[in-house]
Amino acid sequence: MTTAAEGARLQLPALMQRVALTQESLIRAALAVAAALVCTAVLIALSGKDPVIAYLALFSGAFGSIDRVAFALNKATPYLLAGIGIALCFRAKIINIGGEGQIAIGGLGATWAALALPVAHPTAAIALALAAAMAGGALWAGVATIIHLSRRVHEVLVTLLLNFIALLIIGEALHGSLGEVGAGFPQSPLLPATAWLPKLWPRTPLHIGFAIAVVAAVGAYVLLWRTTFGFAIRVAGASRPAALYAGLSVPSITITVMLLAGALAGLAGGVEVLGVHYRLIEGFSYGFGFNAVAIALLGALQPLALIPAALFLGFLEAGALAMQRQVGVPSSLVAVIEGLTMLFILAAMASAERKPQ
Amino acid sequence: MDASSIDFLVAALRIATPLLFAALGGILSERAGVFAVGLEGMMLAGAFGATVATFLTGHAAFGFLASIVAGACLAAMIAIVTVRFQAEQMVTGLAANILAIGLTSFLLRSFVGRGQAPVIQVALLPAWPVPGLADLPWIGPLLFQQPPLTYLALLLTVPIYLMLMRTQPGLLLRAVGENPIAAFAIGAQPLRVRALAVIACGAITGLGGAVLALQQIGTFSDGMTYGRGYIALAAIIVGRWMPFGTLVACLVFGAAEALYLRVQAIGLPISSYVVQMLPYLIALAVLAGLGRSARLPAAIGVAYDPKG
Amino acid sequence: MSQSEPFLEMRDIVKWFDDVRANAGISLDVGRGQIVGLLGENGSGKSTLMKILFGMIPPDGGGIIFKGRELCEHTPGDAIAAGIGMIHQHFMLVDAMTVAENVMLGWRAAGRWLRRGAVGHALRETSARYGLDLDPDAEVGRLPLGRRQRVEILKAILRGADLFVLDEPTSNLSPPEVSALLEVMRRLRTEGKSIIFISHKLHEVLEICDDIVVLRDGKAVGRMPAAAATKAELARLMVGRDVSEPFQRAERPPGPAMLALANIRLPAGEGSVGLHDINLSVASGEVLALAGVDGNGQAELAETIAGMRRPSGGRILIDGVDATRCGVAERVAAGLAYIPADRSQMSLVQAMTVAENLVLRDVRSPPYAHRGWLNRAAQISRAGGLIREFDIRAPGTGAAAQKLSGGNQQKIVVAREVGRAPRVLVALQATWGLDPVATRFVLDRVLELRAYGAAVLYISSELEEVLAIGDRIGVLFAGRLAGVLPRAEATAARIGLLMAGGAEPSPGMAA
Repeated sequence: MTTAAEGARLQLPALMQRVALTQESLIRAALAVAAALVCTAVLIALSGKDPVIAYLALFSGAFGSIDRVAFALNKATPYLLAGIGIALCFRAKIINIGGEGQIAIGGLGATWAALALPVAHPTAAIALALAAAMAGGALWAGVATIIHLSRRVHEVLVTLLLNFIALLIIGEALHGSLGEVGAGFPQSPLLPATAWLPKLWPRTPLHIGFAIAVVAAVGAYVLLWRTTFGFAIRVAGASRPAALYAGLSVPSITITVMLLAGALAGLAGGVEVLGVHYRLIEGFSYGFGFNAVAIALLGALQPLALIPAALFLGFLEAGALAMQRQVGVPSSLVAVIEGLTMLFILAAMASAERKPQ
Repeated sequence: MDASSIDFLVAALRIATPLLFAALGGILSERAGVFAVGLEGMMLAGAFGATVATFLTGHAAFGFLASIVAGACLAAMIAIVTVRFQAEQMVTGLAANILAIGLTSFLLRSFVGRGQAPVIQVALLPAWPVPGLADLPWIGPLLFQQPPLTYLALLLTVPIYLMLMRTQPGLLLRAVGENPIAAFAIGAQPLRVRALAVIACGAITGLGGAVLALQQIGTFSDGMTYGRGYIALAAIIVGRWMPFGTLVACLVFGAAEALYLRVQAIGLPISSYVVQMLPYLIALAVLAGLGRSARLPAAIGVAYDPKG
Repeated sequence: MSQSEPFLEMRDIVKWFDDVRANAGISLDVGRGQIVGLLGENGSGKSTLMKILFGMIPPDGGGIIFKGRELCEHTPGDAIAAGIGMIHQHFMLVDAMTVAENVMLGWRAAGRWLRRGAVGHALRETSARYGLDLDPDAEVGRLPLGRRQRVEILKAILRGADLFVLDEPTSNLSPPEVSALLEVMRRLRTEGKSIIFISHKLHEVLEICDDIVVLRDGKAVGRMPAAAATKAELARLMVGRDVSEPFQRAERPPGPAMLALANIRLPAGEGSVGLHDINLSVASGEVLALAGVDGNGQAELAETIAGMRRPSGGRILIDGVDATRCGVAERVAAGLAYIPADRSQMSLVQAMTVAENLVLRDVRSPPYAHRGWLNRAAQISRAGGLIREFDIRAPGTGAAAQKLSGGNQQKIVVAREVGRAPRVLVALQATWGLDPVATRFVLDRVLELRAYGAAVLYISSELEEVLAIGDRIGVLFAGRLAGVLPRAEATAARIGLLMAGGAEPSPGMAA
């Protein structure tokens, strides 16, 4: 038997290796972002604008005032929530691209609950609506998983196709039972105020969704590294034969992780509906799913690192709108930065893996 | 067969054409061992190139050329990341799609529209009736009164099939997708083959975007491909990675979408949203029905390390 | 033996992999119409040398002269063009394609527009001449391994190879297939071709080769004509010391049956022979060793017992208790340990730490976890204990498993499975890819477990190991148990016959 001191010494390498890996991945992420920003600076210059002025506008648009910061944090919230779920899926080598659909169905669930089951007490109303959101997202992810597992259809295709179907379901609902009569736009009626998410910072747009997301990130970290289920996820992600050998059931891990990811994505949808729009709007989740994937990659699939990653994208998006207004540089630049960053990170991650250890 | 049925089939073929280009291109990429998740982005890039080039020069021929180049450029980026760096193929395809959406939107506004969304209208390509054959009953309007790119798409299935199954380069491409080490052992360069296959995929898929822009919609709008690239992926699987099977699959998906227009025309009391779901539902149903029997190229998605 | 000037000259070949010297100045000559055997253990440098010859990797020093011309910085394409044909140990074939397509792959003479008719004709002709018995339209993936190897040989012949390199060609063949291969080699020699025959099987090398070269630790330590060589001398050169001491075997009467299989059946499938009516039992304190050429149901049997495959019929009893419906984890809890053949994907998670791998199969039970929460301290202290007890050389419990050598990786697996003091141990190819010292370690631990009273089912394609440690020795052939003999009666000849599918006069059923 080892003494306590020996045990501590033997333990140190484990911690350090994990920290070192994270440091390495974060440096990689930072470099990828920098490279993407340089490329887009060139693009801006070629289009006849001054990149420095453009980036300054971006920066001030993101950080310029408390309201702006609040706006950025709100933007980051659904990405973070959905991204956590996707990171867990990727860890188990399940490529879940269904974020957008799961978020949308989650928003639908929250809206339906708030409208159909009005509750007087605010906490209960919010809890009920968010629970419905999580259930909706989990359900949608569950459908994808069942098709994937029982009929051996690749999860990328299933989740992708279900995204489109989900958006059409939302459209159908907003034209029918959940639609606001007389509005010129597909949206639901305004939700009862008891269901609105309270503010995290009074007199700003920032709602408690962000706090919920951070708690979820910490929870995912603990799950992944401190629980047997997290261990199972990591084994299944590393090697399916090893998981079988270790007595784990890959199908049951797949279902659980997907349901969890669906619930988190649904929560993202619910939070967006209850905290930002106070109603269901068609297309409210456009692009959220892919952004969540981008964040998961940027954070190297480490739940805690997803927080700065989501913040990065949130601030980027907030600033880009201001940049478009002030300097005339189109806000679609954000997608360019996002795409380039992902490509650079993917290349860097792959070449790090292939280096001789 | 009455006139409206013929219209239905003509619409189905018309809708299937961009899918067919993308699927044929995707077959090359996947057979060489690279998942073609980036078809969506390649098609969008092609649509952008076709619209802008035709708008600026007034000639559709430049549009075709530009669509090929644009698709190939995006494919080249994918090739660098997945073949040179051996990164995860599916997510790289996704990243490329995100990049394509942003870049086309950005370029349209910054370079063509002077900062705002420009109004671009290009004339749709007219049908080219084949003299003699166009007058045949039923088949005439269906097959021989189509715009030029549709003919090209249909004809392209033949050389691609022949190339894949009857020539040495095709054999090599398939070997790289099944067992790249075996290809290396007989003196080939698997990485080069993969890269070329991906770029060829981009070029052909770009033409699919040209179809969308120049034969169907007549302008460019953000994200106008709206999932067609993913439907093409499904078509490849349904068609068992063979050109003729894929052709049939694309026609089926085209018919599903054409059904939507038909239902609208008839005025059935089915919600338009539900009908729009049809192509996706059918794709899912067919994939689910195929299930286990879909046999991918054995080395697809597997990194090939030249250092052994 | 033909008198010949050097057809192939490899001079002072040196190759480093990071800080490991795989080839330390090897020189090798092969004459025209000569079969030269290249003998050596795993890690002796044989494969590296041949990869350099074939142009797959460049040497760090030395040169190659073939047919009077220097081969420098060449690719496999150049080597093939020069007339070198390589028959790899792991076949370089495309399973989804036909024999003809595999032959045509990369073959200029087949034309840009594949001339299937002409190639098919040439194929049939050559196949007949060399006794290869191949059908051009057969799908390679469905051929038995012996046939697939012949496709490789056919490819080389058609491309005009004059020098054939056969890398461990018999490791997956049954005895009749081995004889057939040796016959093909003789025909090649008669036609004036030269062959480099790489193997670690002494009897084959002695039977077919003209000269034998022995490699050890990256150097050529001896060359002699086969007629003048003896097995003992060759073994000594290969291993570098005298043949190892005999094993310690405690003679004891076996106890009650710990593992019993009754009528176990598994359907045959793609690439699997299945299992047909397996009946066996292993007693406490006994080793039942099963020999057999790889691919005759070994993995199927081992995984079925471990709980990773569900049999279509029959029962499995562990210590008298019916375990047929139990999953892997329950069988571990019931005292069943399993050492699989595949270290890279199955028995270890390469990316995880040594500590995590040491508790891989136990991590969900106390003391390593409590109600779903991992107990890191308990894991690490257990890891430390096992590392010391089994002398695992690792940079620390937190090091990734992939950083360890093959031998130490296998020690992790053995430490984990044996350290649990199981009632039953199933070991499948447990010494694959290990050097003699590591192999000896594994066998010693297995015998130790036997002395403690565990029941051991030891499955291996290495006949020497099976004969060395089995109390009873059986053979797996085509998914059946083809006879079980007590140690005293198990001669290499009888076992070899069973491995080839021949029948015993009175077929044995396990007692």
